[in-house]
Amino acid sequence: MNREHLRTLFTTKSARVNTNRGEEYYRELLNRCRQRLETLKKMPSFTKIDIREVLEDEGISRRDFMKWASAMTAMLMLPSAFTPLVAEAAELMNRLPVIWIELQDCAGNSEALLRSDGPKIDEIVLEIISLEFHETLMAAAGHQAEAQLEEAMEHFHGNYLLFVEGSVPIGAGREWCTIGASGETFEEHLKRVAKGAAAVVAVGTCATFGGVPAAAPNPTGAVGVMDIINDKPIVNIPACPANPANMVGVILHYILTGQIPELDSLLRPKFAFGYRIHDNCERRAHFDAGEFVEEWGDEGAKNNFCLYKMGCKGPMTFNNCSIIRYNESVNWPIGAGHGCIGCSEPDFWDKYAYERPMADANIKMAPGGGVEKSVDEFGLGLLTAAGIGIAIHAAASAIAGKRDDEEGGR
Amino acid sequence: MKGKQYERVERMTLFMRLNHWVVAICMVAAVITGLYIGHPYYQTLISEPAVGKYVMAWNRWIHFYAAIIFDVSSIVIAYLYFFSRFERPVEKLIPTGRNIREFFAVLVNLITLNRVKRFDSSHEDSFHVVYFTIFHLLLLWMLLTGLQLYVHGLAHGQSSIGSWWPALLHFFTDWTIWATGGTLMDVRMSHHATMYYIIVWILFHIYYVVWRTIFWREGDISIVFGGYKFKKVR
Ligand code: SF4
Ligand code: SF4
Repeated sequence: MNREHLRTLFTTKSARVNTNRGEEYYRELLNRCRQRLETLKKMPSFTKIDIREVLEDEGISRRDFMKWASAMTAMLMLPSAFTPLVAEAAELMNRLPVIWIELQDCAGNSEALLRSDGPKIDEIVLEIISLEFHETLMAAAGHQAEAQLEEAMEHFHGNYLLFVEGSVPIGAGREWCTIGASGETFEEHLKRVAKGAAAVVAVGTCATFGGVPAAAPNPTGAVGVMDIINDKPIVNIPACPANPANMVGVILHYILTGQIPELDSLLRPKFAFGYRIHDNCERRAHFDAGEFVEEWGDEGAKNNFCLYKMGCKGPMTFNNCSIIRYNESVNWPIGAGHGCIGCSEPDFWDKYAYERPMADANIKMAPGGGVEKSVDEFGLGLLTAAGIGIAIHAAASAIAGKRDDEEGGR
Repeated sequence: MKGKQYERVERMTLFMRLNHWVVAICMVAAVITGLYIGHPYYQTLISEPAVGKYVMAWNRWIHFYAAIIFDVSSIVIAYLYFFSRFERPVEKLIPTGRNIREFFAVLVNLITLNRVKRFDSSHEDSFHVVYFTIFHLLLLWMLLTGLQLYVHGLAHGQSSIGSWWPALLHFFTDWTIWATGGTLMDVRMSHHATMYYIIVWILFHIYYVVWRTIFWREGDISIVFGGYKFKKVR
């Protein structure tokens, strides 16, 4: 991995999630947000959809909506006084033009925000954003679609948020992926569309760190958006798929403050990726007790024991699924009985996603990755080699016998 | 042995010997508990409620205590490398012609099974010092990677002794993420693999000291117990 960004890890940037910045700070922020919302209100909305009507149609009461807003406020690490502003910001979502492009991906993030058993407020809110362009969702196709993109880029130049889903192939396989009649490669496409964006939001692990397409041997030379774009503010929302709540969180934050949220050293918003799965996991007591699921469906699994021995990577994964969960807190992977596979971390497919602890995993040990060896096998091999070496030396010494200095040892 | 006279040579002070055994005990404790943390290899289905047993937590407790004692001892040893009033190992590390000659002389002695011995074996030699320096570098690496793994759990930036501690840990160990390959998992793998290098190091260390004792006939093994070895005088 030769990401320039990783070099900047030598900072204390990711050291701290500050949830209390003092009254003075929040009072000032509150005023700033109020002013911003006032100006947004005066702007024309880009879509005709009114969130109040949509919510009513879906049978969601104002009360439910306000509950959601207060949960969102807490998620964004703002004091409760911000709740009415967050609700207002959600209603003003249609003032923010969004362009969504897909590169090397499975559309899983689009799916995540569109599909659930019944639309949840997160999804509804995302529906009313002014999605100016989204290949998968729009009715137009071909030249028409391209024309629509051009128009949106020109009309909203400098103001739109660009959401990118999927990785960018820049290696030998880059020419396998082109878009449009002009045969533009994904890299050129991304660069062109990003030019007029106010900020770029990379959604999903592919867009952030290359994800699955970048897994060894990475045939297309896939990289994340932050490896290509370096002159725009970038927000990474990794996870496979990214949690719609975090997408909403980033957009809400942007509408509310006009800024992107505070980021960690991997450019992930701290409000979502500041905490470790393991520290907020409901199975943690079993971890400390040494109670582990040993096999799928065993007694331990029935008792909701810790999934560490089934390969849970919660101890080295930073994400908020253990706190906010998915589909409006219905459940999350570990709650459903499968360990975390570290989907929000760089290189997760190669280094995290296996169903055993790291010590037993067949990870590539040889530099450059050729021979597959588990760490323990490798270690045992090393020990054996050392043992044999010592044994040979000892045997040779014994056979040769001791030589006293006088006998010619010198 | 008739007709031979021996002279005592002090090789390790009381403090050095104490340190050696503290490190040795910590090492064994850290390996046993570390293997458990990497892959919990015993018990799981003890029919006792989770509150009563605290197996992983105790393992981690012992592992961290061993580690922190290690860390402090390493700092002391590093200091002694340069400023010891007894013997300064660093003087044997500087690649001067003399040290290089001595290094190879000792190596040749080992390879030729003590047939050739062209150095003064009563004092600490360059070869041994280089060998120990490798050990301390491995330990330093364990210290850095281990503390990096530890600080993951302090994401809130607080600790029982203040927020400066996690901040300090991030400052001094975050680069290991980059150095090992860019992910938190790489740090783990490296921490785990380095354990094996250390075990290999210990294997050879014990073997070599016993070998020296048998072949050199100068009582090398008693250095670590009594502090002295013996030197033949004619
Ligand atoms: S299931 Fe995973 S995240 Fe939860 S306590 Fe166990 S190891 Fe940690
Ligand atoms: S539990 Fe882990 S693998 Fe599952 S969604 Fe959360 S971060 Fe990804």
